[in-house]
Amino acid sequence: MTDPHAPALVCQNVSVTYGPVTALEAVSTAFDAGLIHAVVGQNGAGKTTFARVASGLVRPSGGHVAINGHVMRGGNVSAARAAGVELVHQSFALPPSFTVAEAMEFGATGAGRFFTRSSLFARWRPHLESLDISVDLGARIRDLPVETQQGIEIARALVTQAKVLILDEPTAVLSPSGIEKLFERVRRLKAQGVTVLLILHKIREVLAIADTVTVLRAGRLVEGPLMTTDVDGERLSRLIIGDASRGLAAVDAQALTGAGTVEHGPTDAKPVTAAPVLKLSSITTFGDPEGPALQDVDFEVRPGEIVGIAGVEGNGQRTLVRLIADFAKASRGGVYLGGHDINTQPLAQRRSKGLRIIPFERNTEGLSLSSSLWENWTARALLEKPLLRLVNPALLRSECDAALKAWGVRYDNVAQKAGALSGGNAQKVILSREIDRDAKLIIAAQPTRGLDIGATAFVWDALRQARDRGCGIILISSDLDELFDISDRVNVMLAGRIVGTFTAPYDMNAVGAAMIGAS
Amino acid sequence: MIARVTHILRSLIFVIFALILCSLVFQIAGYSASTVLTNVADGAFLRPGALAQSLRWALPLFITAVGVGVSFRAGYFNIGAQGQFYVGSICAAFVAEWLSGAPAFVVIPACLFAGMAGGAFWALWPGYLRIRSGTDEVITTLMGNFMAGLLLVYVTSGPLKDPSGSGQQASSRPLEAAYRISTSSGLSVTIVAIAVAVGLAMWLLVNRTTFGMLASLAGRNPVMVRWQGALLWKLGITSFLLSGALAGLAGTIEFLGPNGRIASGFLPAHGFTAILIALVANFSVAGTAITALFFGGLASAALYLPVMAGLPSAAIDVINASIALFITARSKLLDKVLRIGGHSS
Repeated sequence: MTDPHAPALVCQNVSVTYGPVTALEAVSTAFDAGLIHAVVGQNGAGKTTFARVASGLVRPSGGHVAINGHVMRGGNVSAARAAGVELVHQSFALPPSFTVAEAMEFGATGAGRFFTRSSLFARWRPHLESLDISVDLGARIRDLPVETQQGIEIARALVTQAKVLILDEPTAVLSPSGIEKLFERVRRLKAQGVTVLLILHKIREVLAIADTVTVLRAGRLVEGPLMTTDVDGERLSRLIIGDASRGLAAVDAQALTGAGTVEHGPTDAKPVTAAPVLKLSSITTFGDPEGPALQDVDFEVRPGEIVGIAGVEGNGQRTLVRLIADFAKASRGGVYLGGHDINTQPLAQRRSKGLRIIPFERNTEGLSLSSSLWENWTARALLEKPLLRLVNPALLRSECDAALKAWGVRYDNVAQKAGALSGGNAQKVILSREIDRDAKLIIAAQPTRGLDIGATAFVWDALRQARDRGCGIILISSDLDELFDISDRVNVMLAGRIVGTFTAPYDMNAVGAAMIGAS
Repeated sequence: MIARVTHILRSLIFVIFALILCSLVFQIAGYSASTVLTNVADGAFLRPGALAQSLRWALPLFITAVGVGVSFRAGYFNIGAQGQFYVGSICAAFVAEWLSGAPAFVVIPACLFAGMAGGAFWALWPGYLRIRSGTDEVITTLMGNFMAGLLLVYVTSGPLKDPSGSGQQASSRPLEAAYRISTSSGLSVTIVAIAVAVGLAMWLLVNRTTFGMLASLAGRNPVMVRWQGALLWKLGITSFLLSGALAGLAGTIEFLGPNGRIASGFLPAHGFTAILIALVANFSVAGTAITALFFGGLASAALYLPVMAGLPSAAIDVINASIALFITARSKLLDKVLRIGGHSS
């Protein structure tokens, strides 16, 4: 019997480098057995790398990781599994077309055996029940709600009797009530003696669940593990943000770290009375490859307001954007941009009426990573011209240079490939292209996903400034803190419908309930 | 600018690798590599009159290759240049037959136009299938090559058959001298002028117009261009039409100029050499001009080797094939390098 308070996981001077990029630098820390530990930090702080190296998935380029006093070589999943550590990934790794039973079996045993449905069911039902996951074992993974998928991921990770379970940002995909369920589950695991390491980025969640907290910033250990009873939200917030907190509005800092109740951010907006810049009237769409069809959606955006769209991912947010961008087709209802019926107009014409889109997928829909910055930047302007119009690349390059400088993009020269920029800089290139003087309606789809605090605050300010200039803005986000901070109104989407509209002051519980259809 | 120079240098390095590989093959086959290569250089450029011969081959190749570059840039692998070249020449031959007796200033432009239209048509249907229903254009354009080849056999042994032909190779009746744009030597002011005009126009289109910029952006990432509001089918069909028209134009030039007739299976490697040229030049118009001259030189050396040096003309095929090998390896290698770079960032 080992000492119950001996560290279950020890990192000794762990460094990880990817090519020229240092993701973790000399991190030394130890996590006691039988507790729930949180690791927090902003995007790009090295949290996911930490999860990967701690779970033995990635071999550290310096230092070592030990599980229960046993040093892992790293880079070998089965060895890590044997050592008793399991990782549940941020983006789920279950095959979507598998049934629950198949997904549980997948990876659990070697090949070369025959399976029957009933034997699989018999094998996995007790395991899932012991973890209180009630699910039809014959259901396909893709048909399950995300909370259940995550539950199955956790169950799969626990098949091998893992002693240390690492969950990488498990709350990012969940609704508030889903998070509560997850925490219940984690507490039960703790009661069973499992050491749980949670990668989180909301202080509220850390304080709700964890026994200790460890803060990473820019690949380095800032502090930790600290007992959560000894810290408060404000201190944690300062540790996470670091120097960037200077010049950050207090309410933004709260929203960025999820330290408490987020209030609607500073605005000197007057009540908006102008005619809507976008109006959807009882829109129903055909089925869409990227999400559920919209059902009877009535929706308005007026100039000078930011309308937030909340919802668990995959509830029609993409279809909404695709409808406005002419990729999804309405079977019924009307789409009006600035009072014009645009239902049958192609995207180019809609854009010429002032529609601008910051798409969901920054690196494919937003930018061509293998093309130069100036080509990416100039694409929108080019599309307003006839195909055979002569252009002057030198002039376009210097215009792009001026625009990118004005937006504070960090780059060497405009001929550089867009793929060479960091996420935050890449997003600024998109902003500089989409937020121009002629913009009337800006759709910002997950505009801050993956960005660090500085870049996130930058995007928020850009959207607020555009609003104050009189643009109508649709902000789609899965981060409620972000929505509450900068939206003047929040609509909640569920299964292709708008199921609730909220105004400040926002009630996290009420919005959360609407997201899962509980009223 | 520096990036462009390094790019050209990188292509050159692969050509040098290819020549080293060829030398090995020649040595193994029992020839002295240095003798073969010096004779190739002689036949291509050094011997008096060689440059003119090389240009004769280079100009039509250049025109086709520029067209191939246009479609490749836009992300469409139109490998049907050979078929489009044939269909262009067939259409021109029909028009010349129908307008026989009309003044040259009518017939020649009509032939050029018909040839371009024919080539464009032979690229249109694969383009339409690709854009409408996602049919792989590599397959359809390749099939188009075979169809065009058989069409050429039919036309030259049927409707346009030369009754006085020897029977060894079916061909059309020789074009009246008045309609020819060059003698059999194959080089004339008209052909040079057409090539220069095509080069300038395509350089302008690719580098200095909205179409050129959007098409090459779409070739690298069609999704992003669609989200900007581009109609991909417009860019795509235009690229297919242009590349087909240019191959058809090259076919017409061969018909009106050096060949003076069309024959079944004539210049069977033209389209593929043009694809190779476009790849080596990395689809840049200026690069294509230089590369076409190089490959034109090889084509002319292929005729020189057996006659003057007693060496097999297959040596040129070996050189072509080695270059193709290394160029393919280059794009694959570059892909790999880029993908690794993309992951780590």
